[in-house]
Amino acid sequence: MPTIAIDAMGGDHAPEEVVKGVAQVSLATDIECVLVGDERRIQEQLEGVSYNPEHIAILHCRDVIGMAENPREAMRRRDASLLVGTRAVAEDRADAFVTAGNTGACILACAKYFPLIRGIRRAALASVYPRHIEYPGQDRFALLLDVGATVRCEAEELVHFAVMGAGYARRISKVASPRVALLNMGSEETKGGETLVAAHRRLRALGGINFVGNVEGNDLVRGRADVIVCEGLVGNIALKLIEGVSEVFTDLASVAAERRLTWRFGLRLLARGIERLRELTDYAQYGGSPILGFERLCIKCHGRSTAQAVANAVKVAAKAVRDRVPAEIAAAVTVVG
Amino acid sequence: MRLGGPRKRTRSARPESPLVCRWDLDKTYLRSEFTTLRQLLRTAFERPEQKVDVPGVAELIRGLKAAAESRGQTALVYFVSASPPQIGKSIRAKLALDGVPYDGIVFKNQLEHLRRGKFRNLREHVGFKLVELLRGHLAAPADTRELCFGDDWESDSLIYSLYADILAGRLATAPLTALLMRIRVDPLLVAEVVELATRVPARDAVERIFINLERRTPPATFRLFGPRVVPTFNYFQTAVVLAMMGRLRLADVTRIGAVLVERSGYTARRLDNSLDDLVRRGLLTLSAAERLAAPLRAAGLLSHPAPRTRWRRMLGRLGRWRPRRPEVRPSAPPGALDYDAILARVQPAARRAAATGGRP
Repeated sequence: MPTIAIDAMGGDHAPEEVVKGVAQVSLATDIECVLVGDERRIQEQLEGVSYNPEHIAILHCRDVIGMAENPREAMRRRDASLLVGTRAVAEDRADAFVTAGNTGACILACAKYFPLIRGIRRAALASVYPRHIEYPGQDRFALLLDVGATVRCEAEELVHFAVMGAGYARRISKVASPRVALLNMGSEETKGGETLVAAHRRLRALGGINFVGNVEGNDLVRGRADVIVCEGLVGNIALKLIEGVSEVFTDLASVAAERRLTWRFGLRLLARGIERLRELTDYAQYGGSPILGFERLCIKCHGRSTAQAVANAVKVAAKAVRDRVPAEIAAAVTVVG
Repeated sequence: MRLGGPRKRTRSARPESPLVCRWDLDKTYLRSEFTTLRQLLRTAFERPEQKVDVPGVAELIRGLKAAAESRGQTALVYFVSASPPQIGKSIRAKLALDGVPYDGIVFKNQLEHLRRGKFRNLREHVGFKLVELLRGHLAAPADTRELCFGDDWESDSLIYSLYADILAGRLATAPLTALLMRIRVDPLLVAEVVELATRVPARDAVERIFINLERRTPPATFRLFGPRVVPTFNYFQTAVVLAMMGRLRLADVTRIGAVLVERSGYTARRLDNSLDDLVRRGLLTLSAAERLAAPLRAAGLLSHPAPRTRWRRMLGRLGRWRPRRPEVRPSAPPGALDYDAILARVQPAARRAAATGGRP
């Protein structure tokens, strides 16, 4: 069984929700969990929930990197849970790392302790999000990368992201030939400036991946592609937009329901459907975002992660370890040169 | 080898005091499933060889007996079960199959309750078990020391705690009666418990109450029962605590660990984690855990610690990496337990009754 190190102190609701999530995993699976953080605080939380101690170890450290801290300055704090957990994976004491902590510090920690896969120049933070299904056999989640690890990219790096994303989707989403697309301002291959045009040309010429061309912003939530590639700045804005629209939609419905009786009645009638939709778009359902490009695995959860989100992230990490995702990506990179 | 350091004579009995181990059967010894009617019926008609015991429990009972005998003591094992006597034959055959030595077994006559129309008594076991435990204690030698073993499915922690406090003379007749009435024990059984309690000489005889967390109930739930109640997640943990108390030998702990590995798919890491959990919960000192771990590691039951970097070793010596461990809890509670709080937690009906002035 894979051993997953989990940053118990990272996230807005740490350590409570993280510990609860790991406790859930310990009861339902045989995954070996290593909670990294303040042992006394972790134990206090553990004893208040149902858990199986046979699958939980604690790696004690005292320091915590705050969510709003400057990532570069935070890297000096070697006894912080995020850095201790990353090191545990680098030193083979765990197979993968899961954190809901500071994203910047997480990426820097991975870059510091994990070697890049041979042939890969930059890592990518890939976000998994729910979308519409257009083709048979498609997964209900799409992969968008990069969403913040590499702010500006060159064409070659975008090609690497496409290869990494396709490799991840093949293993985790079980889509034999995932549809890969480039996020652009138009579907024509000449759109988007020099870098995107070059990336399009190279991806079109590349064998081994199912490149379907450019997609626009409105295609993100449709099922045109399973893996959508863009540079970190664009990806992060797109991701936050998707999350924001979903939240505003929910808020508007609540406000309207408070003001008008007819709306309230209508929403009551639609309650089951809305709940179904909410479940479908709930980030807690899909666990976390993998940081791809390194020989070791790291899953970054949403800062607001609940116990369920953490539990799903740990399961995704274990699945990625079992399915040897880094090896799959390394093999794909070797093939495309 | 004793793990918990030298024993204080003032707190424990003389070495020759007989040891009585009182065991629950379902979910403590046997992995009985009876959450549905179908499971209940299947359990009732199971053949002995179909019954499954909790991993390590048979070895633990044998170990307790053998360890006591090696010290020249007598260890007696009694089972008190709320199952009907009709399945007694099958249970006795199962115990014989497992090679478990026992000195007595009591079942609950459910048919009698049915015949009398006392349907509530079918599911209410506090009165029945207290009566049987007190009868058993009165029949045992006067200076007996006791260990109780139950699970987290019903009210074992409550029943054993009441029993321990009655033996220790911490529960007078009036509060005991009020408590039993609040739990809605059959008035006939209340009278019997009270009568037996008055005959018991006051002596703090129960050393520990072990609760097998079969349902994985959060351990914090048992804090209200005080340090006498020890919730454990598997019988390796129970064996370790018993070894620390001097009630088991290290060889017995090793044997139980080996059985879990060989027959139940446990790994060295799972045993490692179980041991660490005991230390974190204050049930085992770090030094005792280290003393225990060395021979278990030599037997291949625990994994070898990962080699540390030179810096980490040095800092470890300075104490920087060492977490603050809780103090090991004493075995006996300072006074009577707060049964009002316990009932409010474990018996919702009693909580409602308390709110209406104690009327059930």
